[in-house]
Amino acid sequence: METLIRIDNLHKSFYDGDTELKVLKGVNLDVHQAEVLAIMGASGVGKSTLLHIIGTLDRPTEGNIFYEDEDVTTFSERELTRFRNDAIGFVFQFHQLLPEFTALENVAMSGLIRNTRKVADENGNRYSSSKAYEKAEILLESVGLSERLGHFPSQLSGGERQRVAIARALINQPKVVLADEPTGNIDDKTSGAVLDVLQDINERLKQTFIIVTHDSRLSERANRTVHLVDGKIADE
Amino acid sequence: MKFEWFVALRYLLSRRKQSFISIISIISIAGVGLGVATVILVIAVLDGVEHGIKERFLANEAHVILRLIDNGFYSNYENKIEAIEKVEGVVAASPIVYSQLAVFREGSKQIEDVILIKGIVPEVEDKVTSFTKFVNGSYDFQNDDLIKEARFLNDDITITGGIVLGSRLAQRLIVNEGDVLRLVVNMTEDRFNPGAFIPLIRNFVVIGFYESELTVYDNQTAFIDLETAQKLYQVDGQINFILIRLEDAELAPEMGEQIIAATEFAILEAPTTTTWLETHAALFQALKLEKIATVIIEALIILVAAFNIASTLIMTVMEKTRDVGMLRTLGASRRQVMGIFMIKGSIIGMLGTLAGTALGLYICWLLSTNVMRPSPWIANACIGILSCSVIGIAYRRIDTVSVVFIIFAIIFSINMFITPFLVLSSTMRTVLIILGVIALLIFWIVVLIKSWQKLSSIWKPTFLALGLLAIGFIFFCYIKPISLEELGLSAIYQMNQLPIKVNWFFVCFINMLSFAICWLATIYPAWQASNLKPIEALQYE
Repeated sequence: METLIRIDNLHKSFYDGDTELKVLKGVNLDVHQAEVLAIMGASGVGKSTLLHIIGTLDRPTEGNIFYEDEDVTTFSERELTRFRNDAIGFVFQFHQLLPEFTALENVAMSGLIRNTRKVADENGNRYSSSKAYEKAEILLESVGLSERLGHFPSQLSGGERQRVAIARALINQPKVVLADEPTGNIDDKTSGAVLDVLQDINERLKQTFIIVTHDSRLSERANRTVHLVDGKIADE
Repeated sequence: MKFEWFVALRYLLSRRKQSFISIISIISIAGVGLGVATVILVIAVLDGVEHGIKERFLANEAHVILRLIDNGFYSNYENKIEAIEKVEGVVAASPIVYSQLAVFREGSKQIEDVILIKGIVPEVEDKVTSFTKFVNGSYDFQNDDLIKEARFLNDDITITGGIVLGSRLAQRLIVNEGDVLRLVVNMTEDRFNPGAFIPLIRNFVVIGFYESELTVYDNQTAFIDLETAQKLYQVDGQINFILIRLEDAELAPEMGEQIIAATEFAILEAPTTTTWLETHAALFQALKLEKIATVIIEALIILVAAFNIASTLIMTVMEKTRDVGMLRTLGASRRQVMGIFMIKGSIIGMLGTLAGTALGLYICWLLSTNVMRPSPWIANACIGILSCSVIGIAYRRIDTVSVVFIIFAIIFSINMFITPFLVLSSTMRTVLIILGVIALLIFWIVVLIKSWQKLSSIWKPTFLALGLLAIGFIFFCYIKPISLEELGLSAIYQMNQLPIKVNWFFVCFINMLSFAICWLATIYPAWQASNLKPIEALQYE
């Protein structure tokens, strides 16, 4: 299977005054194209930190991350911002939808940001706002929320919000979607529906997912599960 | 629409739900607006007073006075006047014999007063100081009927001619038209008793009163015929002052040199000019100082409003920290985040500035327009109906807002319904009305804050528009030109009503200044937002 992301000897330490807190102590991990990878581990072990570093929201203390042989740890702040916009989708434990915007606008947001950079699609056409909204509508339909386009996050249920968040992560056809405890904050029944959506997208769109979780039902549905123990990936 | 504008406008307009405009934005806009309105209003009043005073002074004041440095007399003045009138920018010039005299009243031996006397040619003086316009009575110094009458009645004394007295001076001296005034022209040494002086006394008949409403003149000046004055001082064919009127009074300081050059005085004679600005230097300097001080204070007012914007934005940034984190995660650049908050703040600043300009100009207009105002009762009724309907639509039960409403309604009613029946000084009445309006404003703000979110998006713009109309109408009912006469200040300021003069250049300047300050105020909060680290922002509680 083709390797999408190669993580090479990743270290991350946090400093509290003079005390060094080593969270990641040499993580090596390959993520394959179109797989659903679950990262499991006890809470506080650094799962989220690893995910943030993979998602370029944070920089490692040491080590490299290659996206298709491109080392993102050497990117400048500006390049990272672009990279996040183009190549990465995020789903967080708390949906983190923008409360002033409707479901449709929330999903389209990332596309709107991309439009401001005047990038062209594969056919050489510029993206436009209406295209972003069109796409957002299709995505919301595909997560089963075609009736909820004009609703504000406060008018949606927990599961619906999380599905909007998933649709939002997909708008720019990212290389990978990073999900941090996507079902951590919703009840069992609802999380089942959310997981169905994830699986469906993975199968239909061949979308790569990295999911951090301690929900064993989620890891059962993953193609592969790795465990983070003591700052390293335990043997599979 | 550009992404930053899209987000900024949404943040400006609403919380949570798609609605009209958020209350915090309204308060910020009002803050800036009140600042700008105050500045425009105060400067318009100051400009108006200055302009009014200048106009009053210039109506009967020579723009330039030409004299020798020792106030000495000189002959050949006709040629000089001709030369001066040829100078570009000069309208007219008038020869004057200017001096002081002591006054006796008819039959009295006591000196009543010392007055300034101007010997003039009325027709010529008219062109420079509009002399005849201010004379109540006659200015025919030689042949008026009153002079003939007086000569007939007082055959024991010699009547030299007629005199026009300043009206206040006449009141002080208690003289009427036709009365004879005894003027001490100068003292001559007694030929037979060396060391003793005999006053040279001449008798004049009062033929008119000079009423310019300018205390300086009405209080101490009298006018006689130029020829008579020349004879009085034994300076036939000579004068000591030339009064000059210019096309543009403001150019007076620059014209002095040219005028002196045209008159061809010998250097040793030391000719000099005095402008109207110098004559009233103390007054105009005081006005100028007052204006500078005011502008500084006004700039501070706008600065306060800008702090208002800055704090609003800082609050928004804090409130939106997680959103900012998410936007950065989605790939919004630091510049875009900064743009969002700067656009939001700038829109508040711009709306506030424009609203303030409108309010300021409206009040200026009200203060300078004398039309019949509708009875305040109608305004009160309007306020009542509008307030009740807001309450009625937003609330359907008794709570804090209703209580606040009742309290303010009572204060307002006491004000508006009881004051007309009380005997109050106009100051007291004004204070009460201002209190009433403040109470009303506070009430409206409370209503807005408490019930705004409960109004649907159709009612919000409706009530905003109605509210603005109502406030406009109330202002129209209550704000009238301020009568200086009623306040007893008309004598001091020489004006009947508080003058207003809108300086459009200054209005534009204040608009730009206000907008610039507001824009600057947005930089720090926006920068703060753009500097948030996505991870920390996302985890912000």
